[in-house]
Amino acid sequence: MIEDNLSDRGLFELELSENILSENEFSEKGLSEKDRLISVLKGKSVDRPPVICPGGMMNAAVTEVVSSIEGNHNTEFEAMVKTAKRVREMTGFENYGVPFCMTAEVEPFGATVDYGDKCIEPRVTKYSDLDMELLSEIKLDVRNESRAGIVIDAIKALSNKDIPVIGNITGHISTASSVVDPNVFFKALIKNPMNSHKLLSHINKYLIDYAKYMIESGADVIAISDPTATGEILGERIFRAFALPYYKQFVDVLKPYNVPIIFHMCGKAFNVVEILDEAGFQALSFDSLVNMRQVKKRINSCLMGNVNTQTLNFENEVKIKKLTEVCIDSGVNIVSPACGLGMSTPMENIKAMTNFVKSFGDQDDKG
Amino acid sequence: MIKQDLFESIKEHVVEMEEDKVIELCEKSLENNIPAIETINQGLIRGMDEVSKLYEEEEYFLPEILMCSDAMNSGLEVVKPHLDKSSMVDPIKVVIGVVEGDTHDIGKNLVRILMEASGMEVYDLGRDVPLNDFVEKAVEYDADIIVMSTLMSTTMDGMKTVIEKLESDNIRERFKVFVGGGPISQFFADKIGADIYTKDASEAVRIAKQVGRKVS
Repeated sequence: MIEDNLSDRGLFELELSENILSENEFSEKGLSEKDRLISVLKGKSVDRPPVICPGGMMNAAVTEVVSSIEGNHNTEFEAMVKTAKRVREMTGFENYGVPFCMTAEVEPFGATVDYGDKCIEPRVTKYSDLDMELLSEIKLDVRNESRAGIVIDAIKALSNKDIPVIGNITGHISTASSVVDPNVFFKALIKNPMNSHKLLSHINKYLIDYAKYMIESGADVIAISDPTATGEILGERIFRAFALPYYKQFVDVLKPYNVPIIFHMCGKAFNVVEILDEAGFQALSFDSLVNMRQVKKRINSCLMGNVNTQTLNFENEVKIKKLTEVCIDSGVNIVSPACGLGMSTPMENIKAMTNFVKSFGDQDDKG
Repeated sequence: MIKQDLFESIKEHVVEMEEDKVIELCEKSLENNIPAIETINQGLIRGMDEVSKLYEEEEYFLPEILMCSDAMNSGLEVVKPHLDKSSMVDPIKVVIGVVEGDTHDIGKNLVRILMEASGMEVYDLGRDVPLNDFVEKAVEYDADIIVMSTLMSTTMDGMKTVIEKLESDNIRERFKVFVGGGPISQFFADKIGADIYTKDASEAVRIAKQVGRKVS
């Protein structure tokens, strides 16, 4: 389905060259990775799309990267910083991003987490013992949370002039359904909307505080992943009632910081694309199941994505280059993997993708 | 209330997620000496069939399905003790779970619910299931089908390990292996030697009904 998109390359090149002529504010040499990404997220034109892997759910801390790192990159400051740097050096992705999982947010609410290792990502192994009502009243301060603290320290250590640092956050629906058994949580959305809103609003407040803390510590971009909120699971009606208002709140509260927010959604999200666009995120990222060219026509935000992660894991460089080209042709503003990378994804495959995007700019300049 | 109206009403209240009403009507069916098997097949299961249809048509999503499934199960609990065992055929037996490393069990639960709703006997191993458990439990329960699900591309390789284990134990032919979940595709299923890939829960149930019976 994505393969259909090959023919539109000309259009993108035309847009690019027009933009370069009309806005001559960047030169290839002068444009840092941070400048390029932030410019794109602020709606400006640049020489070529940035190629990034934000971190969090969508991270590139694959086994080949972390195997030689001492300690657990999910829980230890030094290992986290080293991993973030090594990801960029080895893969060619144009950013730093921490953490490499979706569990730091759920621990304070009482979920039990397995911290993972060099082959398996951290994961929730037990939901909180508290019910939704008690969870809504639990008093939390992100500034006292030890795992959030490690992420914050890593952001401070990574912060620099040229390479964008992305702070990653799990969205409120995914956080809620990692803390409360999803079977209970999803039914509560119908059975007890008041309680559900109470919990979601409490969780969202915590997540917003976390994002603020990240920004104050040097994060240049915030990336939210909310896989469980996908339209495929919630449907339009519930998405509009229980997902959208909290995303809007996130965007509104963080607006004064002037830090762009990227939002990633998994799965077949086609039914909620326009609703999600109302939130006002600077970029939306979708899974490879979503046809980017069609989405592009339907949204105002930048589009990020969506090189199929299976292709990245199991296919060869030729196919990966071709797929990356298809992505760019279909109008994405930022190239990235479509979802979480398999831990066994080979480095040369990731590099085939990042190198292609970078060469795209060169070719375009020469042309 | 005549029998057909009662069944129709049970069906409607399953679809409308009205658990209490379903319980009340199922109790009524017992008072009227209606055989439990008829109430199950013509009321409760037909209700869930309609729910599956609404899911396929993207009218209902997971939250609604969970609510309907609760209503159906509560009804089942009322009439099940009154089932005439001789009227039952051996159900298709399924072992299902989310592979190790992944705790996302939403899709898996959906498949389980719809399979149960269509009369299969489902052994749910849960989420983050050690790979060997799939093999051991399938043997223990004499399952017809093994269903493995994952939402994460990071854990999908585990499915291959399970199939290899079945092969090395020489029991691969005893089971139909179903795989599904966000990152899974027909391509991946073929590559690891799974029997069936389905893109969603209702398709999984439909195909399970077709291929589930053991050829013995």
